This record gives sequence, structure tokens and C-alpha cells, in this order.
Amino acid sequence: MIAAGSARRTRLLVVALVLGHLVAITRQVDAGAGQTLFDRIVFSVLSPPQRAVGGAMQGAGGLWSGYLDLRGARAEKERLEDELEAARRELQQLRARARETDKLRELLGLKRILPYESVTAEVVAREGVPWFRTITVDKGSASGVRLNAAVLSSSGVVGRVVSLGPLAARVQLLLDRDCGVGVMIESTGVAGVVSGQVGVADSGTSDLVMNYVPGYAEVAVGDVVVTSGLDRIFPKGLMVGRVRAVAPDAGLFRDIRVTPSARFDRLERVLIVTDEKHEPELTESVR
Amino acid sequence: MRALVAAGALLGALLWQTAVSRISPGYAWLLDPFLLVVVYFGLTGGELQGTLVGAAAGWIQDIQFGGPIVGFGGLTKLLVGFAVGLASERFVLVGSAPRLIAVFGATLLDALLLERLAALFQVPIAELSFAGLVARANANAIAGVLLFEGVERRRRILARRR
Repeated sequence: MIAAGSARRTRLLVVALVLGHLVAITRQVDAGAGQTLFDRIVFSVLSPPQRAVGGAMQGAGGLWSGYLDLRGARAEKERLEDELEAARRELQQLRARARETDKLRELLGLKRILPYESVTAEVVAREGVPWFRTITVDKGSASGVRLNAAVLSSSGVVGRVVSLGPLAARVQLLLDRDCGVGVMIESTGVAGVVSGQVGVADSGTSDLVMNYVPGYAEVAVGDVVVTSGLDRIFPKGLMVGRVRAVAPDAGLFRDIRVTPSARFDRLERVLIVTDEKHEPELTESVR
Repeated sequence: MRALVAAGALLGALLWQTAVSRISPGYAWLLDPFLLVVVYFGLTGGELQGTLVGAAAGWIQDIQFGGPIVGFGGLTKLLVGFAVGLASERFVLVGSAPRLIAVFGATLLDALLLERLAALFQVPIAELSFAGLVARANANAIAGVLLFEGVERRRRILARRR
């Protein structure tokens, strides 16, 4: 009798929770993407441990590569061992430092010529579920980052901020199917919307689709695709990618595939635009 | 006490998923530590625990790793937790083989529910291929059985000490 009552209460709880979820989802879908107080609190509480693990993984990676270097050096001839090991290690450190400097210089270069205020952020976590393409970065509202802020890398547009805490932010990548960016073909000014990944989640393809380009518009393979600024999220003129394929028989709209210029598989640092307005137009050199 | 254990397990899942996404970003989707926590609590605690832990796990996953609409993961994991809890009360899901099947089935149910839910609300998401889904279910099932076995063994040792 007691067990039956308990089971009934559990079922009622499940029904209530399901209805609650459906209401919460419907409100978000109707209102567009936003952030509730609950999201903000949970994200703020749980992002510091993520930051810590992200940092620890970087440190562990450094320790592991150092260990491998040492093992390789031990196999060298005895006479040259100490000298060679030191030289190699120094060379590797210098190379790693050079690579790091190059990346930072690229970002710094972009930051300098970008006519907007921006902050540099480090990626602390990447996609964890197959259905969405998001990353977590180590800068949040305390650094001036706001919701929907444009996120860039030195090679192109990365995505936009969809979730925010004081010390971290979650970024929806261009690869996500739900991410749309107003774009245009740089040479002709033909406008369209670039959105998410083509194909299935586990296929590894990183193509984007350019939608709403009329069938009569002239688009050629290799054309440069830049942001149009019409979505009021991404500043005008930022590099998005290049046209990889245009379907010959297109009908009302052309079927255009775009290869993104940002290297999503190698994202380590990004720039987040912190300006509220995107009035100034970018010069050619920014691309 | 059980709530604290669940909170600890969910924190562990969050850290695990963060670490895996850093080490091998291309393969992080294969394993879902949050689902393993939900299945474990569903198997050992029944419908109620499965449901509550499922809702909590889904929301954390939504907020930390999901898309801009929060709640899809919460609802799917809630239902998965409830289903596993219900099954554990109806059938004898003890031992490696039944648990392997339970995790495998829970992974399929989780993906199916999430994709149907996204379609229902017309939110575009990337879908898993059949091969990808089976690979994810296999990876979760193997990891789940090993993890559950490890946890059970530890519990037995602790019980013997007392």
C-alpha cells in the first residue's frame, strides 16, 4: 500500500518535471536564446572547476611532453647525451615559445587593427555532447564580455557568446546548426546567411552552408565570404571562409558550401569583441 | 548522504567531460559520463533517484556543454533516469550483462529523445549517424560496466571494513 503510494507520488513528480521542462523550453524557444537567472547561477558556480581542469590538462600536457623528451634523449650516445639533451630541450622550448608567440602575435595583430574593444580568452573546455558545437572560454562578464558578443580567431569568425558567468563564457561555434551569421560574398556583395555544420555530428566535416542566396546570383568556387554586419552581432567585413562548392542546378536558392577560415580543431585562444556597437567598417587589412 | 554522493558524482562527470574534451576534442562525444551517473542512480536507487539525478545531470550538461536552449538535456536525462529506475524495479538488472544492456539502451533512448525533442521544437541540431550512435552506446556500455563494477567493489570493501 505504502509502496503503491510512493510509486504514484514519483509518477506525479515525473509528470510535473516533464511539464516544467516543456514550459521552460517553450519559453526559451519563443523568446529566442537568452539566459535565465538559474542558467547564470549554475554556469557561474560550475565554470571555475572547469577552468581549473582546463588549466591542469595544459600543465599535464607539458609534463607529459617533457617526460617523452627525456626518454628520447636517453637513447642517444653517452658522450653527447647531456649536451644533446640540453640542446634539444632548448630547441623544443624555443620552438614551442615561437609557436606560442606567433599565435599571440596573430591575435595581437588582429586585436590592434580591429576597430573595436576586445579581450583575449583561452579555451578551457570544448564540445562535450555530439548535438551541439560549443566551447567554454576563461573570460566572462567581469572582463566586459556580454551575451551574443562576437568571438574571433586570428583566421576568422569563431562564433558568439551564448552563456555567461563572471569568469567564463560559453561560445556557440559557427559549426553549430543553430548558429546563423549574416554574410556576403566579398567581391560581389551577394548577401546570405551562413549556418551550421553540414552532415551528421560524428562525420568530422566542418563545412558551412550559405543559405538564402538567389538562384540567379553569381557565386564562384573560391569566393571569399565575409560578415555583412546585418545580424547586428558580428561586425561587418570579418573573414568567415571561402566558397568550396556551388550546386549547378540550384532552383530558387543556390546550394553553397563554405569552408570556414577559422581552425576549429586548433582553437586555443580567441578574441571576444566587447564593444556594444559595430558601427565602423573594417578595412581590407583586417582580413 | 545519497544526495551528496550524487552531487559528487555529477561534479566528477563535469570534470571528466571537461578533461576529455581538452585531451581529445574530436572524440569527446563518444562517452557521456553524465549518462553513466544517471543510469547508476536509476539502477541502484529506482525511479525517484533516477528521475531527480537525471534532471540535475541534464541541466548541468545543458548549461555547461549544450546549445542556447537549456532544458533538452534535462528533459531527456530525466526520462532516461525514470525509465532505467522503472526497469530496475521490474527486472533484475544486477551483474555485468544486464547493466551493459541497460547502459546501451539508455544511450540509444537518450539520443532518440533529444533528437525528437529538438525536432519537435524546431531547433536545428547535428544528428548522430547510426554508426556513431552505436559506437557511443558501446563506449558508454563498456565504460559504465567497468565504472559500476569499480564502485560496487569499493562499496563492498568499505562494508567489510565496518
